[in-house]
This record gives sequence, C-alpha cells and structure tokens, in this order.
Amino acid sequence: MDTLSLDTFDIRAYLREDLLPHFMCPGCGHGIALRALLWAVHERGIPKDRLAVVCGIGCSGRVGAYIDANTYHTTHGRPLAFATGLALARPDLEVVVITGDGDCLAIGGNHLIHACRRNLNMTCLMLNNEIYGMTGGQVSPTTGGGRLTSTTPYGNAEPTFDACALAIAAGAGFVGRGMTLQLPALKTLIGEGLAHPGFSFIEAISDCTEIFGRKNDLGSAPEIILRQKSGMRPDTYGNIVDRPFQAKAMRIGVLGRNDRPEYGAAYRAAVAARIAP
Amino acid sequence: MADTETSPPTNVLIVGVGGQGVIMVSKVLAALCQLHGLQVKQSEVHGMAKRGGSVFSHVRFGAQVWSPIIPHGETDILVALEWSEGLRWLDAMRRDSGTFIADTQQIVPPIAFRDRRPGARSGYAPQSPAAVLEMVGTGFALDATRVAAGLGNTRIANTVLLGALSTALPFPVEGWISVLRDFVPPHTVAVNLKAFQAGRDWVESGSRPAEEAARPAGARVAVAARGHRLEITEAWCKGCDICVKMCPERCLRLDERGLAELANPAACTGCRVCEWLCPDFAVRVLDGLGQPVA
Ligand code: SF4
Ligand code: SF4
Repeated sequence: MDTLSLDTFDIRAYLREDLLPHFMCPGCGHGIALRALLWAVHERGIPKDRLAVVCGIGCSGRVGAYIDANTYHTTHGRPLAFATGLALARPDLEVVVITGDGDCLAIGGNHLIHACRRNLNMTCLMLNNEIYGMTGGQVSPTTGGGRLTSTTPYGNAEPTFDACALAIAAGAGFVGRGMTLQLPALKTLIGEGLAHPGFSFIEAISDCTEIFGRKNDLGSAPEIILRQKSGMRPDTYGNIVDRPFQAKAMRIGVLGRNDRPEYGAAYRAAVAARIAP
Repeated sequence: MADTETSPPTNVLIVGVGGQGVIMVSKVLAALCQLHGLQVKQSEVHGMAKRGGSVFSHVRFGAQVWSPIIPHGETDILVALEWSEGLRWLDAMRRDSGTFIADTQQIVPPIAFRDRRPGARSGYAPQSPAAVLEMVGTGFALDATRVAAGLGNTRIANTVLLGALSTALPFPVEGWISVLRDFVPPHTVAVNLKAFQAGRDWVESGSRPAEEAARPAGARVAVAARGHRLEITEAWCKGCDICVKMCPERCLRLDERGLAELANPAACTGCRVCEWLCPDFAVRVLDGLGQPVA
C-alpha cells in the first residue's frame, strides 16, 4: 500500500493491551495525547525499556498506566519531583512526565518552576483540559473565564494561567503547545521536546468531554474537539473568544527555546571536578 | 415506611462507580421523600480518589432521622448500578427482609487485571446473578444498561434502576415522575421517563435473573475498496462519535449498539484520520495483509 504510506507506527506495540479499554470517558482527549506521545517515542526509536514515564494524580495521571514501558504513578503534583530524582540517577533513561493542568500548575506549581529553572533533561507533557475531571470537576488554573465548574457555579472569575509563558519565564529549555485535534503536529512537537537536551515543557490542549463539556454545554465529543480549532478556548487573559473558525489568540507550536546548560551534565561535571585529583 | 416518630427510618443504599449517576438516583429519592413531608438525610462518598472508583450514597428517610449513615446490616434496599459494587455492599443489607436491585452490567476496573500474562483471566467477581439472588431476600438482577441501550442511551441505565426502585417503595408513581422531570436535563425528559417505565415494567413482568450481559469482543474488520482494511476493536470503542464526524469521507457510522463501523468501504481512502483521533485506540488501518499501513 505504498500510496497510503505514512509510517509503520502501530500504537499497540506500546500499550498494555490487557488493560484496555482504558478508564477514560468517551471522547476524552487524553487518549489522543497518549497516541501523540507514543508516536513520537516510536519515531525517535526510543526502546521501551529505556522509556520511563512518570505520572501524577488525576485523569492525566492514569494515562501512563497503559504504556508498556517503565511507568511510575506518583503523588499529586509531584511527578516532576520524582522524575528529577530519576533523571539525575539514571541519565541513560528517557524520562517523560505526564501531568495535568491541576497537577502541574496548582498542586505541583512550585515543582514546575524549579524543574524549568534547573533545566534537567526530561520532557514534561501537560494535558490541559481546563478542569479537575477525576475529582468531580473543580476549577483549575487553566479554566477559562466564565466557565462553569463544580466550584464556580456562577462562572469562573479567576484569571487563567498561560502555562507556556510560565515555563518560558522560569527558564525551560524547550516550550511548545499543541492540540490533540492536530495529532501529527502535536506528535512532531513532542518529538522535538524529546530531542531537546534540557527541560522540555509541552502543553497539549485536550478535552474533558464528560465533566467540563457537559457542565458547559459544549455538545458532543466531535463538537468539543473541533472547538480547539474554532478558537473557543480562553486566550491568555482568560476570556473565552467565541468566534468559530477564526485563528485566534492561543498560540501553538514551538514557543520558546534556549541553550542553557543542562542540569544533569552540569551536576555531574561539578561532582567530577571535586572528586578528580 | 415510618409513620410515627418512633418507627425507624427506611434505609436505601445506592452504589456504583463514578459517572454512572448514583448521586442522581439518590437526589431524586431524597427530593421525593421531602415532597412527602418526611425527614431525609443523605450522605455520599464520591470522586475522592479515582474516577471509575467506588461511589456510594446513603439515603435515610422517615418521620425522624438522626444519623445520615445507615448502620451496618440495616440497609432495606440496596440499589447497585454496577454488578460487583452490588456484591461489595451485600453485607450492608438486611439479608432476610432486604431488597437487592442490581444492574448486571460489569465495569471491569484495571485493578482486576493483576495477572499481566497474555490471556490471563481478570479478577472480576465471578458470582453469577442467579447465585447472588439466592443469597438475598428479594432480588432483582436486570441488565439495565442493555435496556437503556435499547432506548438509545446507555447513560440512562440509572433511571431504569430508579424505575425498579420505585416499585419497592410505597410512593405513588406520579410523584416519582414529577421529581424525575425536574432533575434531568430538559431535552432528556422523554427518554428518562421511558427508562423509568422500562424499569417498572421489568420488575412487574416477574423477576428473572438476567442472562450474561452480551459484551462486544474481538475486532470487526472491513475491507475497503482500495485493498486496505479497517479494523475496529469493538470492546474498546466507546461510541464517542469522533471518528464518524471527523472522517473526511464520512464513511463511518455508529451501529445500533452505538459502536463504530465502516458503513461505506468504497469511500474509505485509508487516510487514518479515524485511527489518529480515536481516543480509545479502537481503530486501525491495516494493509491487505493485516499489517498496519506502511
Ligand atoms: S481511513 Fe480515513 S477515509 Fe477511511 S474511514 Fe478512516 S477517516 Fe474515513
Ligand atoms: S473514535 Fe474510537 S471510541 Fe469513538 S466512536 Fe470511533 S472507534 Fe469508537
């Protein structure tokens, strides 16, 4: 079938098939984001036993469980802290953190800024679905202005975090944003993050169809995923821009890159300098 | 039911897993009791640790209710929206006089697969509905999810069970219906009322243990005109409709069970958009030899 040729990626080679179907709701974007990650891993030729995936708590935290590699389900907000230890102790591993908007920006916000500051070689994939889905739909740091959640019954009045701007400001080596709707682009972005020798932060725009989608009356799963394109996501100031099918404020693609020294190498060099005669 | 201040409250325990609508059932019941001028206390544990995890809700009503917690072994009616959750709470029931109402639908949690070898059996509760009904006074095991699917929406399985529950309590049916109307989203009122009635009908038609719920297994493979094949793993498909709506050629559809199928193999170009965007990895585009397209 040469005319159909794209690649030979079959996601099942990377999945624990006996755990499927996964526990996520119908239409949940996290499965698509997982495909993007595993496709990028496949393209980069990373062997499964060299891949270590560290997850936190939440719907995003369960995503790692389905990967047939070294996976690690840690505590709420702390996957970056666990991963920091892992990446320092085992620089031979390809360390990937899967986290969510609440896990990464609220509970684990401090770990994020310090992981960016250290610039240790790992890739952090933050699945942004604007809500704490698993715990019952509470407002998160990325919930758009005016959105209904179980803790904002009158509409969210909090300003929204721009996770990528935060990561850039804190010094992350590679920062990008992609959306599950544009799977191949998200895959390429994650691939670049994996390749970058330093801390890579990638925000994947995902969707919570059952909790966020229902609460805000966003329609069926296909309608919800299409909203990613139609610009109904909050812009950086937290306003929802309801202008279907117009390019808009939320920027995607590679948003930041720098060549600061990688912390693991710097640390090992510092140790070696002290120990060597 | 409690008529005097001294008679004990009626205890209804509603259990299931996250997302099934346990809380909705208990709210309808609680609101109905309030309409009848009874005291009601409701307490629940939900969504604490993981979605898909255990959810339960205690509803106690009567002339006078002090504690919101049902004392162990004093549950008059146990309503289980998921089969093994029903088994988990059997001990909470009054074994001789209690009523057990359960959906036979199984939602198998990942933890049931601790044996990770290919082909290993899951650790899901092996008890058959018939065996469990032996253990309780009055028992109803119905495949509410399939009844709901027959009405076009598996999410209303909880309303089917609510209908079954309504036959076990002495409130007039009109009250149930008017409370239900207020609780469900306006555009789903009609189908919820049908589901409620279906639950009542099921009980009134004489209780019989439901047969094993038919669950889709394996994969359905369709050969497209250009020689490639489209494989849909039905056991993984959740009917989210994404592949159907995103296919540029509009060649997929949801079948009568709500699962994706290739309706127009002649139009499929093998572009793989469906495979990419399926959140459940249920679609694969294979070449004629069964290999993923290369
Ligand atoms: S491969 Fe493309 S054309 Fe064929 S069913 Fe999937 S989306 Fe439609
Ligand atoms: S996208 Fe996947 S889960 Fe959704 S309907 Fe299609 S095959 Fe089923």
